[in-house]
Amino acid sequence: MRSIQRVDPTAWARLGLFVAVFLVFSWRDDRFFTTNNVFTIFEGFAFLGLAALAVGVTIIAGELDLSVGSAAAVAGIISVSVVEKIGLIPTVLLATLIGIAYGSFQGYLIYRLRIQSLVFTLGTLIGLRGLAFIISGENTVVMRDLEIARTVRRQLWIFSPFSLVTLACFVGVALFLINTRFGREIYAIGGGRQEATAAGVPLVRPLVMAFALSGALAAVTGALTSIKSGSAGPAAFETLLLPAATAALIGGVSLLGGRGSVFGIAIGALTLRFINSGLSLGGAPFYILTLATGIVLIVAVVLELLIGRPELRARWRRWRREPGLGLRPRHQPAG
Amino acid sequence: MGSASTSIDSAAWSWRQASVPLAVVGAVAGLALVGWLTTPEFVTYRNVQSIVRSAALIGIIAVTMTGITMAGSFFSLSVSQTAAMAAIGFAAFMSWGWPVWLSVLVTFGIAAAVGAVQGGAVALGGNPIVVTLAVGAVLFGTGAWLTDNKTVRTGTDAADWIGTSRPLGIPTQTWTFILITALAATVLARTRFGRELTLVGANRLAAAASGLRPGKITLYVFTVSSLGAALAGIFTAAQFGQGRLDQFDGADIDSIAAILVGGAAIQGGEGSAPRTAVGAVFIAGLQNLMVLRGFSFGVRILFVGLAILVSVSAFTVLRNRRQMT
Repeated sequence: MRSIQRVDPTAWARLGLFVAVFLVFSWRDDRFFTTNNVFTIFEGFAFLGLAALAVGVTIIAGELDLSVGSAAAVAGIISVSVVEKIGLIPTVLLATLIGIAYGSFQGYLIYRLRIQSLVFTLGTLIGLRGLAFIISGENTVVMRDLEIARTVRRQLWIFSPFSLVTLACFVGVALFLINTRFGREIYAIGGGRQEATAAGVPLVRPLVMAFALSGALAAVTGALTSIKSGSAGPAAFETLLLPAATAALIGGVSLLGGRGSVFGIAIGALTLRFINSGLSLGGAPFYILTLATGIVLIVAVVLELLIGRPELRARWRRWRREPGLGLRPRHQPAG
Repeated sequence: MGSASTSIDSAAWSWRQASVPLAVVGAVAGLALVGWLTTPEFVTYRNVQSIVRSAALIGIIAVTMTGITMAGSFFSLSVSQTAAMAAIGFAAFMSWGWPVWLSVLVTFGIAAAVGAVQGGAVALGGNPIVVTLAVGAVLFGTGAWLTDNKTVRTGTDAADWIGTSRPLGIPTQTWTFILITALAATVLARTRFGRELTLVGANRLAAAASGLRPGKITLYVFTVSSLGAALAGIFTAAQFGQGRLDQFDGADIDSIAAILVGGAAIQGGEGSAPRTAVGAVFIAGLQNLMVLRGFSFGVRILFVGLAILVSVSAFTVLRNRRQMT
């Protein structure tokens, strides 16, 4: 179990990529490395990082939560509807609680039914999107009092309350994953489910924990992003999975499960933000950003395939027998 | 049924073996019964025909994608972008004055190449979800870049017949949906290729050990899926005389839903083209019934999501029970 605390051997390569991207853009554009632009990058990071963390946690557990985008949309609509009545902090706490409740319920059902998370979360992806349309009355929900929106995005040097919350989430999740028994169990069921069950890890706990985390983080993403912009649409966050998964994967989260770190996810999210920010400063339209994200994701996949590390080959051989990403042979129910 | 199950006694027919196909049939019968009891206009020839017509394009995409699921590569998240790109490409070729056959051929050629690249990447060990997610993003970005994110018009009515004619009173899309389902059913259940594909999905190592080449089959199933998506794109471009990048938004999720409601096993090795087609028709029928009952858009999506959750949970429970004995 201690092995998970070792630094990922590719972390230096990822850090190198991160620094390289940063240097290229700051060299090409004087505006890149200014307080304002770094602030903008952190704002984007706040959004992307939270989403990447949500997706990353379930991938580490050897599962995948496809429903993060829809969950974020529902949380965003609820938050924007209530924030003027109950205030900012209670709203974010409420969204978090709803996310935890939804996530743990989903995790428990996935455990109980012994169902592939990929299949189950596709159902919740569609169902929650419907819920988003219902509770919003099929219209964009807007806040009248934009003072609250300004509070969330107020610039404090290179940070804002939004990005500070994100950083706090990162620190919290990192401490949780590394230092608690629950966190280590999430790594254990992701890295080798059969071994973990044989060693006496009760599957229900890490599964519920991973999905609860994913639900909570998705809800906070939706709540803060929506409050920040003062509005929430029922069709929002539909394409959240692409950048979130890309950031997690270039941050070193392994699709085979059991490998990846919160620090790596942060680096991954920042790298992707740098690329997007650099392209935006160059005036590229939104679809070029999608194109760039897709290319980055392809490069990440190819690199992961090409790095001929022996342990990767062994994992690949094992993957052919028991595919990762929620496709390991399902556990027997406890008791 | 083509559910070439991998259990020990696959030769002997039993209720356990038939539980998933029966559940699919039961769901459709249930929907038809509820519709018949509550909504008189639901079970009429006219309405059933319009349900199948509205299921046709998603059905074509889903049926051609079923091979991916059965071969153990989950599914493709790039089919909506492939279909949209095919629509744009076809519209552009037509507007350049190319003959219909050449435009169709070149569109299919490009789609086959796009599918083969993804299949190759998956065969080499890439995760199918991530590979297709990435390729979908690249296709979208490239498409928007090439078209400046604008609608591409065919500018001619030479191809209209593909999308608008109705032989024997039934739209070409519906005919194609039925024919492709029959073709896929035959290939998957009756040919050597289909049996090899099923074995690769059920047990990749055993398939490789018995001399099959899982990589080759993976390459084929992704190519076929891409061709199916391109066909849907061509139909739409021909029908409306234009191709647009957001024309197929959500088509990937809808077709995956059809495959899952049709009872294919996400682990691979089990599934069937007719059941996927029934899944597509079931979802379209559910949507249709709710429209007739005046349900709002959000409620309809919520119920479709719930229907998927219930059916995949039921299939999983049935399958787990089958494996325990």
